[in-house]
Amino acid sequence: MSAAAGTNTAAEPGLPIASGRETGRELWRLSRGHRARLAAIGALGVGGAGFGLTFPLVTGYLVDRVQTGTADLGVVLTVTAVMVAAAVVGAVGSAVTIVLATRTYHTILAVLRERLVGRAMTLPQHRVERAGTGDLISRSSDDVTTVADAAPAVIGAVTTTVFTIIVSLAGLVALDWPYAAAFVVTLPIYVVGMRWYLRTGPQVYRAERAAMSARAQQIVESQRGYATVIGFGLAEQRHHSVLRASWGVAVQAARARTVQSMFNARLNCAECLSLATVLVTGFLLIQAGSSTIGAATAAMLLVLRLLEPINQLLLVIDVVQSAAASLNRIVGVTAIPDAESSEPGAREPAMTGDASVRIRRVTFRYGSGPRVLDDIDLDIPTGQHLAVVGASGAGKTTLAAVIAGVHPPETGTVTRPERTAVITQEVHVFAGTVRENLTLSAPDASDREIRQALNTTGASAILDLLPDGLETRVGSGGHQLTDAQAQQIALARLLLFHPQLAIFDEATAEAGSTQAGLLDRAAEAALLGRTGLVIAHRLSQAAACDRIVVMEHGRITECGTHDQLLAAAGVYAGLWAAWEAGRNVREVE
Amino acid sequence: MSRVDPAGFNRGPLTRWLPVLGQAAPEPPDARPFETRASDTPGRFVVRVIFSIPRITVPAMLLAITWQVGESAVPVVMGLAIDRALAAGDAGQLLLWIGVLVVVYIVLTMAARFTGRLNVTALQLLQHRLRTTLSSRVLHPRHTTVRPPDGGVVSTMTNDVARVSFAVLLLTMSISRIVSIVFIAVSLLVVHWLLGVLVLVGAPVVVFLMGMLSRRLSRSTREYQDLLAATVGRASDLVAGYRVIKGIRAEAEATRRYRQASQETLVGAKRNAAVLGRFLVASGVVNGVFVAAVTGLAGWFAVDGQLSIGGLIATVGLTQALLPQIEGIVGASIPNIASSQASAARILEALGNACPVGSGADAPAWSAGAGTDASERSPDAGVLDLRVSGVPHRVAPVELVGLRADDRTAALVAAALLDPHAERAPGIEIRLGGHPVERLTPAEYHARVTVSPHRMTLFSGTIRSNLTSPSGPSSSADRLDAAVRAAACDDFVTDLDALVGENGNRLSGGQRQRVALARALATDTPILVLHDPTTAVDSVTEQVIAERLREVRSDRSILLIASTPALLSCCDRVIDLTSATPEAAGDASERTVA
Repeated sequence: MSAAAGTNTAAEPGLPIASGRETGRELWRLSRGHRARLAAIGALGVGGAGFGLTFPLVTGYLVDRVQTGTADLGVVLTVTAVMVAAAVVGAVGSAVTIVLATRTYHTILAVLRERLVGRAMTLPQHRVERAGTGDLISRSSDDVTTVADAAPAVIGAVTTTVFTIIVSLAGLVALDWPYAAAFVVTLPIYVVGMRWYLRTGPQVYRAERAAMSARAQQIVESQRGYATVIGFGLAEQRHHSVLRASWGVAVQAARARTVQSMFNARLNCAECLSLATVLVTGFLLIQAGSSTIGAATAAMLLVLRLLEPINQLLLVIDVVQSAAASLNRIVGVTAIPDAESSEPGAREPAMTGDASVRIRRVTFRYGSGPRVLDDIDLDIPTGQHLAVVGASGAGKTTLAAVIAGVHPPETGTVTRPERTAVITQEVHVFAGTVRENLTLSAPDASDREIRQALNTTGASAILDLLPDGLETRVGSGGHQLTDAQAQQIALARLLLFHPQLAIFDEATAEAGSTQAGLLDRAAEAALLGRTGLVIAHRLSQAAACDRIVVMEHGRITECGTHDQLLAAAGVYAGLWAAWEAGRNVREVE
Repeated sequence: MSRVDPAGFNRGPLTRWLPVLGQAAPEPPDARPFETRASDTPGRFVVRVIFSIPRITVPAMLLAITWQVGESAVPVVMGLAIDRALAAGDAGQLLLWIGVLVVVYIVLTMAARFTGRLNVTALQLLQHRLRTTLSSRVLHPRHTTVRPPDGGVVSTMTNDVARVSFAVLLLTMSISRIVSIVFIAVSLLVVHWLLGVLVLVGAPVVVFLMGMLSRRLSRSTREYQDLLAATVGRASDLVAGYRVIKGIRAEAEATRRYRQASQETLVGAKRNAAVLGRFLVASGVVNGVFVAAVTGLAGWFAVDGQLSIGGLIATVGLTQALLPQIEGIVGASIPNIASSQASAARILEALGNACPVGSGADAPAWSAGAGTDASERSPDAGVLDLRVSGVPHRVAPVELVGLRADDRTAALVAAALLDPHAERAPGIEIRLGGHPVERLTPAEYHARVTVSPHRMTLFSGTIRSNLTSPSGPSSSADRLDAAVRAAACDDFVTDLDALVGENGNRLSGGQRQRVALARALATDTPILVLHDPTTAVDSVTEQVIAERLREVRSDRSILLIASTPALLSCCDRVIDLTSATPEAAGDASERTVA
């Protein structure tokens, strides 16, 4: 295993990153429909750059005619007219090249980013859970942006720069090959300078970017945690953290600009040398009678014209490099084969024909950790609502995940109905209208169905509070819903999906104190007529279910109806007694 | 001698011993916040900002002029060398002009290097001062604020601050470009007066024309970038809701929606490419015609005998030098003026929102040791009096009091306790040790009262760094352990130095809430207010927390705003506000029966 591959160790089982070669192959495949256009871009680019040669060559011609006294107004006018015509044709040629290249670039990028998100959605969930969604978010946002923003640099480097360099060198050869040779001898300085820059630049820029994201993070945390900052009297401390992070960027920015100025000094050194060699070459050629003043002027103009694109090419190398790194991360996901979901051990739960759940001798552990589920047997008949009660770490959420098919069990079998929906404690309001949030699970839902679902979960009242009802924009950048409201919308969305089995994993936990009752009633309404598995957060929820199991350390320790468990005087009965006592506390004053 | 570059720049053995000048000090400088005045327009504010550090900008401007004039001189030197040395066949002249070329390059390289470093110093100093201003007045206000900072402050403190600071380059780079255009024009005046006049008149016209063209381009580019940002935002949003999508099998619909946004962005990208193409054609033609006109005119003067062959070559060289300067002004300076003003307007708005009528505008930056006098405690300094809708309630020292109210009232009471200086519902009055809290400074108040809000935030770092406040004296290991145990974190906190992740995302919702509770319990103010501290904790664990809460409070009073029976059952007594609502709490229909 190479050192680069070794950084992605087994301890952090992240999503794969494609190698440069894999990315290249993928890009070649994606360019399939665009190859004629790519050829046209090449031809037009060389042609456009070729017209750029006109100015130096015609100027050289004019100088020679003036020098030899053979110029008149006609020559001057002709030369001027040729210059104008070449400028116009050259400008059109390079503009068309850049437009075509830009369109192709963005078309391929659009395909890639759509595949990325599409693949992210269809990857086996346990795979994504293991890697963390943060990685996917950064690939689909930061990396896509990096590649998109690199478009002018990449296209400029390929079209104008490369073509100009090639054509200008050809022009020097056409003038007199020693001029080209004089320029070529300075190339080693460029190569040495570039190698130094590629060794030094990226790490300094990385440090600068890291400092910038650390700064943004400090600011974001102070803003998001404003209440905490005020409540704990942390303002002064946070102020200094933000300023330290702010200055951290200053330190890194100064280093980054230093690297650039050192690189520029090396480029200037090469520039100065190439201009001097052109002068010396011209001098010797003219002395030998094999060149003219006009040719030397043209050579000088050609070399001056070469320097700018070379500098630009070298300066965008790091942009191109980071775009390539981002591409590797994007292609790493899009290239995961579809067959991945049938990897060994990833057995999807079998489907029952009806809406019941059967769990037989199921054990489960995360990686090589301790058993989280230990020999679980459980049946939920069609239409029954089962509550799971237990302390954190007892295995409730894992049990829900195994039933939902997120994690394949280590041993044992799980059968569940096909239409199974899960709502967890995690509340997310998608940016968009309320309607868009609801129809995510049922794109064709009619207005009547939507209203009905909202009525059932009591979420219609929320709409009355919103400025534009169903069409109100919510989520990031829109109207902010409270967690309880968001979860009521989520319950209505679940209804539109019409699941046979609904799994609520502490789905109503994030409500404020008194909203809890409201949300619990909404959840109950949503469960009506389906099989339900409720990881109970409040005991009142558990008491409302048909049957209750108590879990401890991955095992089921108590099982029965509310009344049966109270009569058994076990753990559940103890919890219930404390709950009841708290409910009856009255003000003593 | 060291084998590696001590400064980390991979320099070779010949230069690695040289000191690297112009680096930033490792510790932040003590930056004074910028003042704002009622008469400030965005333009005036930008001007004040960029003129605030003349000790850096003046040398940077002089060096930039040297650099840019040096760049413009290179084609002239080449033209003169061809005329004097090559045309004349004079080897001595060749050596002389190569020498001149080398000197010009050395001077311009050194000038460029130090301009760059002074520029970055100026940019970073200004950004730091702007951030200090925004941090002390908006993000971490020391004085009364109108409202908490919204999410926009993040972009203001990063992007807008950067864009305003870039305006300082108008003083250095733009002026140097204008000076070098004047240098070129004056050189041409010497060669032939008409050529000089042509450039003096033509260059501004070309700048104006290209400026017009580029404005359309930058508008279109902005539109495209907004589309791209929206698409990228949609991807993040969908992936952030990954579990929700998986839970309702909405993968196909989510992908379809993203594809739609992505295709809209692609259309925008193509539209922008077309505008770019038109700009390139137009600017290529304008430049080409201008250069051809100057060259043709010089050619005619040469034919006519008014200009030597050397003059012709020098003219050609000078026009070559002209184009990069024009492009620099069009591409950098003109957009800079517009974007710095737009950003300055956003900064002024943020400052204006945070700071009503002059209060705290000139407040000193945070200094150490604030609020020490608050530790002097009178006998009943620890008594918290709460009056809601005219009904008084008291939390006496070392009492554990529950407060049950409907969500709305609970939130209003908690908000009033959180920030006594913020606007508050009219029915709520709070006194601390007999004094109305709004008369205390924030430092005095928070030296006595810690409020743990329901919407809590963990800061990135370790669990320990979240539990301990560097300003607090008491983060003894015992106290931490007791807090961790009382908040029932002992089942997952095996290592206090484990990272919590950004926004605490390495922990589950229930774990985050328990760490936040432990953080509150680890503080040592005489009064602690907890608002719904266990909503994300399961009922079994909540019961455990309720039992341990009584043991850990030791010598302080706790006001527990909650309505979960498990927690209320452990209180000494419970204030019940479910039937008393302050007027501002809105209609009674929102209350639900507990």
